[in-house]
Amino acid sequence: MSTLYALWLVSLIISLIALAIMVGLIIARWISQRRARAREAERRRLVPLLLGGEANGEQLAEAERAPDLLTDLATELIQMVRGEDKENFVASAERLGVAERLRYRLDHGSPRTRLAAAEALADFADDAISMDRLRRALDDPNADVRLAAALALASVGQAPPARELVEKLGLGTHESSALTVGLFEEVARERPGEIRELIEAPDTHPYVKVAAIDALSASGDYSLVPIIAKLVLAAPDDAEELPRYLDALGDFGHPAAASAVSKVLDSPEWKVRAAAAEAAGKIGMTDAANRLAALLSDSHWWVRFRAGEALALLGETGRWALTEAAEHAPEPARSTAQLTLAERGLA
Amino acid sequence: MIDWHQLAIDSASTIAMVVIATGLIQTGFYIVQLVYAGAALAARPPISRASLLWRRYADHAPPIAVLAPAFNEEVTIVESVNSLLALHYPDFEVIVINDGSKDGTLQRMIDHFGVERVERFYDLSVQHQPIRGLYASPRLPRLLVVDKENGGKSDALNAGINVSRAPLFCSIDADSLLESDALLRAVRPYIEEPTLTVAVGGTIRIANGSKIAAGRVLEVKLPAKFLALVQIVEYLRAFLMARLALSKMQILMVISGAFGLFKRELAVEVGGYSHGTVGEDMELIVKLHRLLRDRKQPYRIEFIPEPVCWTEAPDDLTILGRQRARWQRGALECFFKHKDMLFNPRYGRIGFLGFGQVLIVDVLGPIVEVLGYVLVPLLWAVGLLAVEYLLAFVAITFTFGIFVSVATLILEEVELRRFPRASDLVILTFISVIENFGYRQLSNFWRLRGFWQFLRKQQGWGQMTRKGFQSAS
Repeated sequence: MSTLYALWLVSLIISLIALAIMVGLIIARWISQRRARAREAERRRLVPLLLGGEANGEQLAEAERAPDLLTDLATELIQMVRGEDKENFVASAERLGVAERLRYRLDHGSPRTRLAAAEALADFADDAISMDRLRRALDDPNADVRLAAALALASVGQAPPARELVEKLGLGTHESSALTVGLFEEVARERPGEIRELIEAPDTHPYVKVAAIDALSASGDYSLVPIIAKLVLAAPDDAEELPRYLDALGDFGHPAAASAVSKVLDSPEWKVRAAAAEAAGKIGMTDAANRLAALLSDSHWWVRFRAGEALALLGETGRWALTEAAEHAPEPARSTAQLTLAERGLA
Repeated sequence: MIDWHQLAIDSASTIAMVVIATGLIQTGFYIVQLVYAGAALAARPPISRASLLWRRYADHAPPIAVLAPAFNEEVTIVESVNSLLALHYPDFEVIVINDGSKDGTLQRMIDHFGVERVERFYDLSVQHQPIRGLYASPRLPRLLVVDKENGGKSDALNAGINVSRAPLFCSIDADSLLESDALLRAVRPYIEEPTLTVAVGGTIRIANGSKIAAGRVLEVKLPAKFLALVQIVEYLRAFLMARLALSKMQILMVISGAFGLFKRELAVEVGGYSHGTVGEDMELIVKLHRLLRDRKQPYRIEFIPEPVCWTEAPDDLTILGRQRARWQRGALECFFKHKDMLFNPRYGRIGFLGFGQVLIVDVLGPIVEVLGYVLVPLLWAVGLLAVEYLLAFVAITFTFGIFVSVATLILEEVELRRFPRASDLVILTFISVIENFGYRQLSNFWRLRGFWQFLRKQQGWGQMTRKGFQSAS
């Protein structure tokens, strides 16, 4: 048999196999469609029973014969209720074996199922076995599942020490999700010292340091300002994390950061200049008004924009600098100042 | 003495082998794509409910500017803008760019939304036709209307990029409908890999036949017309198989103009969308690859399989033919403009696999296949080719074609199950088979027409008759 003939035969065989599989899937879908109707009817029956709680104990006991449906429904409904209702609801779900089913999924499901189970188990914070299982999931082979477990534990104040989280999740080395900031925020609610320690430790990965700073920047703990200012002064001009340090200093808005911000206002990196200008405005660095006015003619639009915004935040001093630039400065400072004043209704 | 008969047979065999080899490479690449797409689907995170996504991402989702170019959209603009303003996302701004409409598009927006002329300091980094005015209202802080002189879709998007201040922008087509949680879903790669991700595309689905009300798809139904049905199978292949696989391989070469989420800073660095091409969406991605590869900067361009956007597919042969010729022209313009990247080691997998794939599928594919349709049966009929050649040609054009389409449908059913009824699957399986007999050949003819237009340097989009979304209800 020639190669060309074999090609024809192979194409025929794999096409027929694909068609046969598709026919099988269509039959399976037809069967599941019929079952879906029954499932939907059961769902409609269960929702009021679940919402009714203990009063419907007997009828709900029947539902335990369909544990997956009950688990899906309960986890969905738990998200919709709040306060005491939620507590009662979670207690009912636990009695009906929902937490147990979720733990089973966390142990035996596909990565997708494990991730969803880890998220759902956060609602069973009083169940020690579930929390223990979530802690074990921090060693799951799948990075997304590990992060979901960490977030679930942190959301109920049961996260392990921050250092351990960094290590188990590979933060900064294998994991760089923006959700790390949320994770640290949750940990910081109970144990801010652990997150602060990450900022201060010299061996912390820059990514982890930035996430920790972001997490604490809304905390109002001004004792962090000199620490972050020191990091700004120590960072090289082109360090990726430098603009984020400056953002954090701007969020604190504390004058103790002024000298560090002032030092990088003329950085060769435009992102650093823009972040420094923004921070200067938020801190209220009126003595930097002239330097900010000079940035109105920066070669980069973002720097000009941030400088204009910063001046607008500096009260009379800034407004005077903007008016001066709008009237007397050459382009592009002139139009930057004019449009900043007009946009903010200061013209 | 020359044996002319033998020479004719040898020449015929060589021609047939070139046709078969090209088709085989193309088919081989499709099969690799199927494997990669299957792996990507199996590894994807769960498709969460919008409320869960909101809870997960709300505090960390970066601001997004949704750029909606509008040209002569007087009739539909209010509904489109209302639908965009109702998107579920924590921090977004809708920038409608009136691209010099000749009808009352701008006035409709002024009248309905109460927007008034405002001043705003905006960037001038990317080129576009002059902006005539900006309009906003304190009552709708998420809406900004840009009125500019006409310059085409890419020009309008460039104006939107300049005016936007969010770190990400989402470009959409005026005639597409976004799912209300489209931004929440599409932003996932930016949350998971905020430093590396530079662009994200999402699945575009065909809305023909579905039940639509107030700018939302309420019930997914299949269209009744063959041309719309066949495009559903094509879109499945293009998005579920090809783009998902290419994204998994990190060689995605195009993000559809109907929905794409980009890092503004990088789009500005590459000069925004290019003028004078109909393949501006593909070119933006190629320019990003070039810039980041030149800089040796690690990056990711991702595709997410979740449906985020619905579009109206042309169900008229003339309009569909024009669209396909234009797509072909766009791909060729982009390919030849950046031909120095082809097989250039400096661009790594983009040069070899990405551009190699465009060369095989978009540049050589249609020509060789049409050549095959004419020559292989003819040469066999006159006795210059053995029947094996004919069978092999049928294999690479028809039977492998059926396999690829049906296998994509299998992927869809096993992993996503987005078609609600078993009868939908029966219809789509039938279409997957019969599209190879007639429609595929017609499609190749349209692509050749695009090739011809490219060679003649024909510009413009041609007449596109917009019917608007037709609800099945």
